[in-house]
Amino acid sequence: KVTEQNGAPLPGVTVKLDGTTKAASTDANGVFSIQAPVGSKLTISLIGMATQTVTVPAGGRINVSLKADSKDLSEVVVVGYGTQKKSVVTGAISSVKASDLENQPVVRIEQSLQGRTSGLTIAATSGQPGSSATVRLRGFTSFGNDKNNPLWVVDGVVIDNGGIGYLNQNDIESIEVLKDAASAAIYGARAASGVILVTTKKGKAGNISINYSGYYGTQAPAKKLDMLNASQYATVRNQAASAAGVALPYADPASYGVGTDWQSLIFNDAAPKQNHEVSISGGSDKATFYTSFGYTDIDGIVATPISKFNRANIRLNSTYKPAKWITIGENLGYSHAVTSGIGETNREYGGVLSSAINLDPIMPAVIDNPTAAASVYNPNNPLGFKDDNGNFYSIPAGGFQEMKNPLAYQKTRLGNYNWDHNIIGNAFVDIEPVKGLHVRSTLGTKLAFYGGDTFTPAFFLGNGPGGVNATATLSRNLNYLINYNFENTVSYNRVFDKHNITLLVGQGAYKDNNARGVTSTYGNIPATTFDEASFRYNALAASRTTSGSDGTDHRVNSLFSRLQYNYAEKYLFTALIRRDGSSRFGANHKFGYFPSASVGWVPTLEDFFPKNNVLTFLKLRGSYGVTGQDLIGDFSYVPTVGPGRNYTFGTTETIGIGYSPNAPANPDLKWEETRQTDIGFEATLLNNITLNFDWYKKKTIGILQNPPVPGYTGSGSFAANVADMENTGVELELGYRKKIGDFNIGINGNASFFKNKVTKLLPGVTFIEDNTASFQTLGAITRTTLGRAYNEFYGYQTLGIFQTQAEVDSYVGPNGTKLQPNAKPGDLKFANLNGDNAITVDDRTYLGNPAPKMSYGLTINVAYKNFDFTAFGSGVAGNTIFQGLRRLDIGTQANWQTKILDSWSPTNTGATLPRLVQGDPNGNYSKFNSVYLEKGDYFRLRTIQLGYTFPKSITEKLKMQKLRVYVLSENLFTITKYSGYDPELGVTSDAGGGAVFSVDRGAYPQARSFLFGLNVGF
Amino acid sequence: CKKDLDVNFQERILVDNYYKSPADALAALISVYDRFGYQDGGLYDKVAIMDVAGDDQLAGGGSSTDINALQVISNYTLTPAIGPQTYLWNKGYAGIYRANILLSRIDAISMDATTKARYTAEAKTLRALFYFDLVRFFKNIPLLTAEVPVSEMYNVTQVPQEDVYAFIEKELVAAIPGLPNTVPAATEGGRLTKGAAQALLGKVYLWEKKYQLAADQFAIVNGPTPGQANPTYGYKLLPNFADLWKVSNKFNSESILEIVHTGASLGNWNDAGATEGNLLNIITGPRGYNPNAAAPDYYSGYSFLVFTKAFFDFIHFDPRNGATVANLDSLEKNYIIGNYDGNGPAGSGNKRPGYTPGYNNTGYFLGKFIARQSNKTTIGTNFDLNFSQDIYEIRLADTYLLEAESIMNATPGAVGTGSRAYQLLNAVRARVGLNPVAVTQDNIEKERRLELAGEGHRWLDLIRWGKAATVLASKGFVAGKNEIFPIPINELNNTKLLQSKEWGGTK
Repeated sequence: KVTEQNGAPLPGVTVKLDGTTKAASTDANGVFSIQAPVGSKLTISLIGMATQTVTVPAGGRINVSLKADSKDLSEVVVVGYGTQKKSVVTGAISSVKASDLENQPVVRIEQSLQGRTSGLTIAATSGQPGSSATVRLRGFTSFGNDKNNPLWVVDGVVIDNGGIGYLNQNDIESIEVLKDAASAAIYGARAASGVILVTTKKGKAGNISINYSGYYGTQAPAKKLDMLNASQYATVRNQAASAAGVALPYADPASYGVGTDWQSLIFNDAAPKQNHEVSISGGSDKATFYTSFGYTDIDGIVATPISKFNRANIRLNSTYKPAKWITIGENLGYSHAVTSGIGETNREYGGVLSSAINLDPIMPAVIDNPTAAASVYNPNNPLGFKDDNGNFYSIPAGGFQEMKNPLAYQKTRLGNYNWDHNIIGNAFVDIEPVKGLHVRSTLGTKLAFYGGDTFTPAFFLGNGPGGVNATATLSRNLNYLINYNFENTVSYNRVFDKHNITLLVGQGAYKDNNARGVTSTYGNIPATTFDEASFRYNALAASRTTSGSDGTDHRVNSLFSRLQYNYAEKYLFTALIRRDGSSRFGANHKFGYFPSASVGWVPTLEDFFPKNNVLTFLKLRGSYGVTGQDLIGDFSYVPTVGPGRNYTFGTTETIGIGYSPNAPANPDLKWEETRQTDIGFEATLLNNITLNFDWYKKKTIGILQNPPVPGYTGSGSFAANVADMENTGVELELGYRKKIGDFNIGINGNASFFKNKVTKLLPGVTFIEDNTASFQTLGAITRTTLGRAYNEFYGYQTLGIFQTQAEVDSYVGPNGTKLQPNAKPGDLKFANLNGDNAITVDDRTYLGNPAPKMSYGLTINVAYKNFDFTAFGSGVAGNTIFQGLRRLDIGTQANWQTKILDSWSPTNTGATLPRLVQGDPNGNYSKFNSVYLEKGDYFRLRTIQLGYTFPKSITEKLKMQKLRVYVLSENLFTITKYSGYDPELGVTSDAGGGAVFSVDRGAYPQARSFLFGLNVGF
Repeated sequence: CKKDLDVNFQERILVDNYYKSPADALAALISVYDRFGYQDGGLYDKVAIMDVAGDDQLAGGGSSTDINALQVISNYTLTPAIGPQTYLWNKGYAGIYRANILLSRIDAISMDATTKARYTAEAKTLRALFYFDLVRFFKNIPLLTAEVPVSEMYNVTQVPQEDVYAFIEKELVAAIPGLPNTVPAATEGGRLTKGAAQALLGKVYLWEKKYQLAADQFAIVNGPTPGQANPTYGYKLLPNFADLWKVSNKFNSESILEIVHTGASLGNWNDAGATEGNLLNIITGPRGYNPNAAAPDYYSGYSFLVFTKAFFDFIHFDPRNGATVANLDSLEKNYIIGNYDGNGPAGSGNKRPGYTPGYNNTGYFLGKFIARQSNKTTIGTNFDLNFSQDIYEIRLADTYLLEAESIMNATPGAVGTGSRAYQLLNAVRARVGLNPVAVTQDNIEKERRLELAGEGHRWLDLIRWGKAATVLASKGFVAGKNEIFPIPINELNNTKLLQSKEWGGTK
């Protein structure tokens, strides 16, 4: 029997008979049995515990108590093409283990990492269930969104960034974040933005164990916006009209009462969320297996009927050992997801959220008075849209543009969904002809099938764009994708004396983006709902449209080699080099070389180091390496001509297909290169405290960018290696573990800081608007300038509010011209930064950085007898949020947040906001300035969990190994000054989004949930 | 292993492998025409810009910032950063680039000499047409006659406008002989002819105030006898003015050059600017159109480009009123659409409007281009972006009036009753049943305003006559500034281009 020091049984411990391959593992009671001769030696090991060797006594009964390895020195981390003892790792690698993630109700892997490790800046892009999050490792490595996404490698298979959502959280054994170039360079050409390695759970030799874990609960919005109600709205509009000197739109504002609360109509306060997983694992010394089935079903909190996520997962990981020297196996995951989305997320052009924010609260949701209905509708209008009770949905007044009655809009999307099937996995064979020599061959693949069905009924929802759909259409989209990785490695490990050498050489071939798709649309079909719609309706040929798509293969061929050496685990050294060839580059620069080296020293193992109880372990390490980036368009290195420059001739209306060059060529196009230096240390203090520290400097050279091409050249922009960017930062991880009486306390915290600076642009170019965010008529709101951070907010600086006409009149340029001739008391005063005689675009300046300077996370675990408690939170600091919830072109008609009540008026001269006036002659809201900006700092309690494990006396009766129940809340509170729904705003590339954090156009907020969960083990 | 990395180019044709066959040359020529018909993805085109810049029309739309590029030119609040100038600039220069590409490569293509000469002439004429617009709109522009190498990309400078005009004249004179007199309408309608290039050259001369040269060119186009068909080109005024706006009447005898649109391109909202359909149709449709049984078949659109009350009063009793103005105001008051006061004929519904008034609403819509149910495309499901009405770039009534104007300025004494100028002006009037009037500046101005309303001529006419500052003052036009558009701000960033003096620059 194997126990912990406190006597608790230890399941899953490996017991190995020395000198043989015989092994066993302990069951849930810590009991094992193995056939072994008396006097032979058994090695007893478990990750996180100090390994022990015992001699089999006569009688064969062995009781072993394993000591917790407080220094985690025997912990193993995955380093890419192998594993390494943590104590001898020389790179900057953060790991997250299965135990950290257990019972965390996250749906996607990015969320598992948020706040768990240092070095990452992560922000959800949407609260829509199943949405991805934006992940940035150590600041910004490159320009744009895709190029800053890290490379995901699951069990050795490279997965495209969008495809990582197929993983079931419970199947993850560990996640390793390779942060410095020395660790990541083994993935060479695609590793510049960091590498995240995911390892799934494997079976262990021993008894079969069956586990169930699941939860069920409900979600609600954590916050709603404080919008004006109907009478406040009427009052404010009157105020704006009176300031402009035009007739008041509302005679008696008070008579409108509260009006329609659009938010309450689309938010769901009890949206269910559930997840269930059953896993079975076990094996013998000849074979192991781990298999699981998972099911997740989540309803969104916004417009629930059209916001749903449902996923089923199956995993099968197994190994077979037909002979002592050969292991074959596979890791295979399958997932099927069905998603319905609200459509426009974080976009101010219609959609349910934007409409709920902008629509006038006086307008009713549904017209139940037929006389009133007729004033809006032609009753003969065949497109009039009614609710289930037969009443017309109300229609926004003219001028509300794309805004639609959200209830009606929701109904037009009812039933539409997207689906995907993913089969991702690998098969491998590992041969060990002589001890320490492994020849391994792995074939990995991703097969994905995905698509969606969309039915749009005929409708009339308003006079704005997209308000009318004249005929019902049904559209189906089908795609498939086949990617593969083929890798062969030979590694040799040899220990002689105190020298430990591991040498790896390998070769890899990769192909991705091999996608094919078709979309077919039938118009004019006689259906009114999704369920009625079918392609069996034989739409007229003229009403059918199809389109197809082809991916362009992206191929990479690689050779790599790595040497790991340590002397007595005291002097550590790793060097590696990888050569990658990519199909995206021309003959001149097809191949790139990515070297790196790192060293480490563990002074605490030196004889001269004084023995003490304060500093029990210290490792100093440093590394330098080069990684690359080839994420640019295909064939950018050769000039091509492209079709689609069409024109029609003749009465037969034959469309001629015109061809012209796409862009000038750049045969010198080559890798983007990232050079990174990392210096850090790891320490254990007082046996209870672990400390990791890293400082890095990362310089990206030759960022692939399409430089701004003046319009007069008439050609498109071309790809070129023109810009350099630098990131420096520090990262800190701190852990504390202590047992006080019956209390077991664990605290883990981490914090990361980074500073980002563009150090070079094309000669003569001082700024670019690359992947910039823009907002309606404000135009671009961010800009990337030499010597400053990537994409900072750029607009007019304000100098407060004019209080009197005299102040307006005396605000003049050098020649005495009034700088703001249209201003009146209450308007914003803009700084005349270039000192000329007018406020123009040249007076704009930098107003803040959308990217947080700091990200941090904190986990507290407390166990007391059978109770366990976990609180986990994370946050960011130092960023600025752009809040653009209102549609400017809807003018004073669009609703406001209640903060507008503190706008300037002769009786409220201390106001924070400028005066409200129809037409906004001074441009208080049409010139981008700080009225749109707020601080983005927040701390969010992501999960808080209280669990109870039933004592053995009960579980034994139930024939269970383990029975635990818990209650959990996600997102219980968020500390922030931000006035929008949610300060967590990832990069959404939707209209005007750009590759910029912190732009809020009415983003789908994160839900707050309360869940009840159960863990059962047999 | 290196070979593995050579991925098939598939549809991406290398520039070096292209421009080899006559088909390649035609495709390259089509790409130049593409820019001639180019419309902005924000749903506007040159005609819309010119219309709202003038005194007779307002931007309209859904709100004061709807299609902001049109709003800011309509009320003259445009700035170098905000306005339609980027569209105008890029339209021209992309077309010039494509023409330069073809012209620099066509000599090496082995093909029939006549066809080669024709393609060359077409490319040169289009390039001249782009430059003519650019120099009128921006005055200070670079003159590029070949591709700009990447190394010189930021070193380009502007040239005096005289150089641009000289280039345009030279190009057109060189191109005219290579163009055909006529083209078969069924298959080649819309392609350039001699007459189109000559009409264009006439306009260029007129802008340069070279009146006699202008009159000479127009005379070739208009033919020996005003009102009679041109014996060489076949040009003749249509007997019925309203027939000009029938979609089926493409390439009619009055059309000299038109921008061709089709409903067959399946244009969609993912890239509205890529449609081959006519966007002017949908943007001029009334919002929320509520017809009763006998109402015109207008199609609900976005209510842009509405006529002012003043213009309506001006054209009200002219025979061209009915075809020019779609009078929704009158239709509503007569209960032909809606029933906004609840007093209409029985069965037409309760109290409801005939259409939803947009921004700047006057009730007077652009009848020449208004979207109609009968013009809806029969292909695909996106009707809004696929109307197929063509737009006249140059039509005979325009060149008649321009010749009359040229003669009047070249030989002021030769415009009396019965003179050629008199015949030209009055042929246009006679077509709609109006009595002859004398050839005077005032009468020509009135006639052009009535005849060509909503076709994008008025603003350019006012600038040419030097009357823009007076006529457009109430709209916010500033003399010495708004005669040209500002160089788009993106063209100044990081380049050697300078902003025009009119817009606070140094050029």
